Amino acid sequence: MMAIRLAWARLRALFRRNATADEIREELDFHVQMRTDEYAQAGLDTHAARLAALRRFGSLAVIQDRGYDVRGGGVMETLLQDVKYGLRQLRRYPSFSIVAILTLALGAGVSTALFSVIDAALLRPLPYPNPEELVTLDVEEARPNGESTRYAPSMADIRTWRTLTTIVSHAGMGRVSGFLPLIVDTGTPQRLTVAEASEDFLEAYGIVPILGRNIQLDDTREGAPDVALLGHAFWQQAFGGDLKVLGRSLRIQDRPVTIVGVLPAGFYNETAVWQAKRFSSLMFDRRGSGTPVVARLRPGITLAQARAALDALTPPSTMTGPAPVPAHVFIQSMYDDETDQFGTTLRTLSMAVGLIVLIGCINVAGLVLARGAMRDVELAIRASIGAGRGRLVRQLLTESLLLASAGAIVGVLVAYTSLDALVGLIPLSLPANSPAAINGTVLAFALGLTVVSALLFGLVPAIKLSRSPKLIGTMLSVGGRSGAPLSKRAGQWLIGVEIALALVLMTGSGLMLRSFARLLAVDLGYDANNVLTLEVEPLDRTTAIRLAYYVSLANELRRLPEVVSAGAIDQLALMGGGSFAFPTADTGAKIAGPQRTVLPGYLEAMGVRPLAGRLLEEADRAAGEAAVVNATASQQYFGGSPIGHTLRTEGKNPSYWRIVGVVPDIRHGGPQGRIDPQMYVLPDPRAPEAFPITLAMVMRLREGAPLRLERLKQIAEMLGPRVLVGQARPAQTLISQQVREPRHRMLLLTLLGVFGLLLTLVGVFSTTAYAVARRTREIGVRAAFGARPGQVVGVMIQDAVWPVAFGLVTGLAGAYYTTRIIRGFLFQTTPYDPGTLTAVVALLGATAGLAAWLPARRAASVDPLSALRAE
Amino acid sequence: MRHATNSDQLHGTLDMLVLKILEVGPLHGYAIAVRLERLSRDVLSVEEGSLYPALYRMERRGWLASAWSVTEKGRRARFYKLTRTGRAQLDAETASWLRLTTAVGDVLNG
Repeated sequence: MMAIRLAWARLRALFRRNATADEIREELDFHVQMRTDEYAQAGLDTHAARLAALRRFGSLAVIQDRGYDVRGGGVMETLLQDVKYGLRQLRRYPSFSIVAILTLALGAGVSTALFSVIDAALLRPLPYPNPEELVTLDVEEARPNGESTRYAPSMADIRTWRTLTTIVSHAGMGRVSGFLPLIVDTGTPQRLTVAEASEDFLEAYGIVPILGRNIQLDDTREGAPDVALLGHAFWQQAFGGDLKVLGRSLRIQDRPVTIVGVLPAGFYNETAVWQAKRFSSLMFDRRGSGTPVVARLRPGITLAQARAALDALTPPSTMTGPAPVPAHVFIQSMYDDETDQFGTTLRTLSMAVGLIVLIGCINVAGLVLARGAMRDVELAIRASIGAGRGRLVRQLLTESLLLASAGAIVGVLVAYTSLDALVGLIPLSLPANSPAAINGTVLAFALGLTVVSALLFGLVPAIKLSRSPKLIGTMLSVGGRSGAPLSKRAGQWLIGVEIALALVLMTGSGLMLRSFARLLAVDLGYDANNVLTLEVEPLDRTTAIRLAYYVSLANELRRLPEVVSAGAIDQLALMGGGSFAFPTADTGAKIAGPQRTVLPGYLEAMGVRPLAGRLLEEADRAAGEAAVVNATASQQYFGGSPIGHTLRTEGKNPSYWRIVGVVPDIRHGGPQGRIDPQMYVLPDPRAPEAFPITLAMVMRLREGAPLRLERLKQIAEMLGPRVLVGQARPAQTLISQQVREPRHRMLLLTLLGVFGLLLTLVGVFSTTAYAVARRTREIGVRAAFGARPGQVVGVMIQDAVWPVAFGLVTGLAGAYYTTRIIRGFLFQTTPYDPGTLTAVVALLGATAGLAAWLPARRAASVDPLSALRAE
Repeated sequence: MRHATNSDQLHGTLDMLVLKILEVGPLHGYAIAVRLERLSRDVLSVEEGSLYPALYRMERRGWLASAWSVTEKGRRARFYKLTRTGRAQLDAETASWLRLTTAVGDVLNG
């Protein structure tokens, strides 16, 4: 508080202490007063006398500024003077100022938003104490063929490593469990993210529960009571932040769990519950569970030291066969592990945003040059009365800085208010505990960008303009716009570079659009129109109850007049997943593909017709032994004629299926999903333990007969057991969710490309318009000598043609080198896609042409007489 | 540098006139302006205010010196007076001006 008051006092003193300015002001006031007195004596009334005196004196403000130029003041005083003067200049050319500020705001806004993401993803991805001590651990096995495979270490590995107390301070495993959120029941069941962790996992992050205790070794033993810690947000939401929550219980997947602790806010806010992971004696020393292992090293221990030490305690692996295979520790800093994924996306976006900023700066440089040329009278006068060149450069740069600051303020405000939307568009999953925000680092970046961009767009015009003032020329033709634009060549260069940069940017956008169109054109193997999916799950985990429920729900749905056909499929399939049972065919082949449990009617609802044989029928269900395979499986394992062959799973209680039909390949995972050999099987009533899964209902609706979620919910809840009804989504919605990442990537780059195009339009337009305005006299002369309007337009456009052509060619070369980095994002599209390049060049060329033609056309309508008189 | 601003004739003229006016003694800006307009018979119809930057410039070059003082009517005003350098400058300018006008006159008189 004290500091603020002090700073304020200093600031005010600074304004007050500007003695030089005050003196000048007093002197000029004296002059005006004397003149006023004189007029008053001559008989004018006081008011009129003062007005006349002022008119005779000229602009008090301008004279004061000019006087100040000569007399000068302290550095701060001069700066203030510059700022005041600059603000006045900005107000004097409002349309210039608005266009420039908006242009700069666009660049500042997108780059601030992007930087807040970079800040979250790369600069502070690990908001834990001493994050440099955090590592992730894997076990790497060298195969005989030289390849190596990485597995998650076993719990046995971890506990052995932890004995190296001089190397490792904490180590544990943990992850968000499963593919689907789990049903957490605290009275009203919901699907929530549940994580499981071993002992010492949260300790490795340095997380201390705010209530209760962490997960302990005893909690992880087979048969130990189920315990869990609540995430902070869930504790607030479900228990109202109750401090006496310890010892209470909730149900996770219909099993009771006792609450033993509450985690602090900010640690995996999305995760509702952390369960203790339990290890059966079988699982205890098994590697490859897929659960990530994190450890905290002792301070100062390097990765190499840790690797060597842990390696010595890592036994060979017996996972792949009876012969032990040597295993090594693969250690990575958690920072690298978290941030590896961001590389290409952030690089691409940074480049695109950088291009926007550059194009914006070039635009503003052009505007500043153009406006500066209009100001040459003013600059000449200032120079002639003694303002040195350095003084003028500084003045012009101050004005640039003012523009850039105004742009930055608008941009940061926009970024601040729309950050969530912008960040949501960026196809990245940011580190869970480090959300993007406009913080001090980000603001510092915005400030730096402001200064750099002010220099970028301000320095060249400042140097060019400060060189030009000449008194005689301007005195002799005050107000005149001489025919030789001092910055014509500079303007042309700016257009050329701008076009080139815009072309690079737009090529990126074009490629994304083309790639996305190809993605949407992929044949998914089914007819998604009028298909509706419904997620529903009984809370009861008993297989018989669940199966009976799904069957009767399917029957119930089929009875609805809106429904053409209805079935169900393993819910994982909607997300492109599936269970793998690796059944063996009677031909001896082991089928390596997802096995999708369905209820009859599913394939019909998807609009799938058999390529051979038949689909699954209700009659097959009792026997439970029918299966259908897709074309790929048919070709790969049965030489194209699988019907009549049988499949059998291994184990004590094998399932058995007879193949009755072949269906086309269905891309459940969306257009980018792989085509695997697939099997569609009915739930096997003889192997009930093979049916703990959750089904999703799939139905085909009659055209134009929508079914509301409320209605479906009613039907689903009416049937008996307590159920949790999830989302009802049209298949089209599912597809668009499957292509969410590429769509966002496409949207972002297209948006930036459109910005680039707009900026180019503004840039070319303003440069040409300025050139036309400067050359009114020349145009008048040409018209007076009989030039036809078409010729006049031609002359005006000529100046834009070469820079645009130059820009297009250079831009193509630039695009050739830069679009490679998005190669990985392109679907069935090369970075050199000729159609895209042609379209982009045509679009940009046409836009630039239009932008040059519009102001040029105005020139053609100039009346020769008034043009000449304009001088 | 294509243009040497300090050899500017018109500019030099104003300087010379101001120096000439101040030859008689210290004056404040308004008085200089009044005499300037009388001397030059309103030929120089530049905005009056432009005088001040010119005064400051000449002061910076050391031709003039200034100080706050009180007018006959008891008002505070800044007075300017010629320095030694200023006097030398006036002589040089006058000489140069005479040379120029003589040359032009010779041409005109044939």
